[in-house]
Amino acid sequence: MSTLSHGSVPMARPAARRRPPAGRRARHKQLTRDRIVAAALALFQSKGFEETTTRAIARRARVAEGTVFNYFETKEDIALHFLELEVSHAIAAVRNHRRLRRASLEEKLFALLESQIAFLAPYERFIGAAFVQALKPASKLGWSRQAAELRTRYLAFVQELIEESLPKGKPSALAWFGPPAFWIYYLGVLLYWLHDASPGKQHTLAFIDRSLKLGVAVLRKGTPA
Amino acid sequence: MKPPEGPARRALRMAALTAGVTGSYVGYLAQHAFLGADARQQKLKAAHTRAAQRMTAEFLSLRGPAMKLGQTLSLQAGVLPEEMLHELATLQMGAPGMHPTLARAQFTAAMGKAPEALFRSFAPEPFAAASLGQVHHAVTREGERVAVKLQYPGIRDAVANDFRWFRTVSKGAQLTRHLPGIVIAELEEQILAETDYARERENLEHFRKWLAPLEFVRVPRVYRKYSGDGVITMELLEGAHLDQVLAGRPSQRLRDTLGARLVELHYFQLLQVEAFHADPHWGNYLFGKEGTIGLVDFGCVKHLQPEFVATLRSVYLYPGDRTSPQFQELLEQRYALHGRKLNPAARKALARFAENFYRVVYPPEMARDAEPFDFADNKFLKTYMRESANLAKSRCALPEYLMIARAETGLYATLHRLRARVPMSRIVRKYLGKR
Repeated sequence: MSTLSHGSVPMARPAARRRPPAGRRARHKQLTRDRIVAAALALFQSKGFEETTTRAIARRARVAEGTVFNYFETKEDIALHFLELEVSHAIAAVRNHRRLRRASLEEKLFALLESQIAFLAPYERFIGAAFVQALKPASKLGWSRQAAELRTRYLAFVQELIEESLPKGKPSALAWFGPPAFWIYYLGVLLYWLHDASPGKQHTLAFIDRSLKLGVAVLRKGTPA
Repeated sequence: MKPPEGPARRALRMAALTAGVTGSYVGYLAQHAFLGADARQQKLKAAHTRAAQRMTAEFLSLRGPAMKLGQTLSLQAGVLPEEMLHELATLQMGAPGMHPTLARAQFTAAMGKAPEALFRSFAPEPFAAASLGQVHHAVTREGERVAVKLQYPGIRDAVANDFRWFRTVSKGAQLTRHLPGIVIAELEEQILAETDYARERENLEHFRKWLAPLEFVRVPRVYRKYSGDGVITMELLEGAHLDQVLAGRPSQRLRDTLGARLVELHYFQLLQVEAFHADPHWGNYLFGKEGTIGLVDFGCVKHLQPEFVATLRSVYLYPGDRTSPQFQELLEQRYALHGRKLNPAARKALARFAENFYRVVYPPEMARDAEPFDFADNKFLKTYMRESANLAKSRCALPEYLMIARAETGLYATLHRLRARVPMSRIVRKYLGKR
C-alpha cells in the first residue's frame, strides 16, 4: 500500500536514512487491517458469518473491539474488503501471466474464474453465507456503492479481455452483451461450485470449460451454435 | 477440449450425427442414376469422406465412449471404405486437448499442488491427447524425464451418461438378444475401468513384472510419488508410433519382426499371463529402432479366469474337424463356465469361424508351423469381420469375446498395415502349454 496518502516526509530527515514515522504508521495500520481481516475470515469460515461477533473478531486479532470499528464499520465491510482482494488477485493473475496474452478468450475467462475460485476455496462456508447475505435488500455486499464499484471494476476487466479477442472496429454481440451476461454467469458458477461435491471440485472445472465454450460461441455468432 | 455434457444433450448430438451422416449419402443417391461409372465412384468416395469427417469431428468433440467407438470403427479395415478409415484414423492418434489453464487446474485439483510445485518442469501443452485424458512431458525433482497422464474432468460421468443413453436406444436389440445386456455391461465396466487411474497404476506395475520374460517389450515404471486420483506419472518411453514407422519405409524384415513380436505379445498375455492389454489403438504402441515394443496405456485390461483360458488352449490349433462333436463339446464347456448352453446357431457360427478364419491363418498341422501367413492382402480381415458379424447374429456372445475381439481386431489391423508375414501357428504353439 502507498504511504504517500498518509503524510509527507519531513525536509530535515532524508528519507534514505530513516523511514518517516508516517510510513511506519501506515505499515502498522496495514498490518492491523490484515490481522482483522484474517481473524474475521477464519471465524466466518469456522463459526459462520451470522454467528461471528465483532468482539470475537477483535479477540482473535488481538486488538480492542473499538479498533475493529476504526477500520471497518460492519462485518459486511470486512467481507467486501475480502472480495476486493479476490478481484484484484484474479485480475493480476490473468494480466501478469505472459502465456495467457496469446490465449483464446475462453482460456482467459477460464483463468479469471479459476483464480477467483482458488482464492475463495479456503473460505467456502463463508462464501455460501455471503451469497445469501448479498441477496438481502439492505445488504452492503449486494447493493452498496462499494459493491457496485467492485462489480464495475471486475466487468471492465472482462470487457477488456473480450475486446482484445475481437477484430478492431467490428460491432459484436460479444462486446455488447458479454460483460453483463458474464456477471450473471459468474454468480451461477459460484453457486455450482458451492454445491459441487466431486473430488477436487472437478465438475466445476468441466462445467466452466463447457459453458464458456458454448457461451462465447453463441455470443460470437449472435445465434446459438 | 469439449468436456462431458448431460445425457440428453449428448444423445441429441449422437442423433444429429446419425442424421448428418445419412445426409452425406442422400446427395450421392439422388445423383446416382444420372452418373457414369467413374463419376459415380468418385461421388461415392466423396460421400464416404464427408460422412467420416462428420463422424470424426463429432467423436472428437464428445470424447469418452463415443470416441472409443470411432477408434474401434477405424480398425475395421476390409469392412469400411478406405476413405472412411483414413479419416477415422485421426481418432487413433490425437484429439484436441485441454487448454493449459484447465490442465493445470485439473492437475492441482487432483494432486492438491500445482504441477510447478511438484515437478522441476512441466510442459503446459500435452504431447498426446486421447478419449479420456492427455499426456504431458515433465521432469521430476530428481531430474528424470517422465510422462504425466492427466484425466479430463468429469469424464466418469460422461461415460455413465453415454451408457445410460446407449442402454435406452438399444432396448430393442437387447430384447431380441442381438446385443445382450451382459455385453453392454462388460463394455461399460471396461471403459469405466479406464478412468480408474489407481487400477491402471496397478496394471502397469503388474504387467511390467509379468511381461518381463519378453525382452522386446517395454512397460513404463510408475512414479507413485507423482501420481494421484486422475494423474499417473510414468517413465517416458522412447519409440515411434505405427504411422511414423511406416513413413520411414521399414524393410520387410523389420515389418515381419514387429508383426511376429506383436503376435507373440498377444498370445503370451492370453495364454501365460491370463490377462491382456485390450486397448489396441495405435497411440498405445511405441516401436523402437531395434524392434522393441513399448506399451503405454494399461487402462483397459481384461483378466481371464484360468478355466476360460483352459478352453482357449483346448481349441487353439485344434487338429481335427471343427464341426465334430468333440470340438463342439469343448465349446460347450466354455459356455458352461457362464452357466449357459450353446445354441445351434452359435455352434454353427463358431465352427464356421474356426474353419474359415482360424484354420486358414493358424494352420494346425505341425509341419506347417514355420509357414508365415501374409497379412498384406486384406481378404483375411474381411473374413474375420464377416465371421465376427455372423457370430454376433447368433446371439450367443460371451463377455470375454468382446475384449478378445477388440484386441484381435487391433492386432490384425496392425499386422495388415505392417504387411507383415508371421508364422502364426509356431508362435501360438510356443505358449499353448500350461503356464
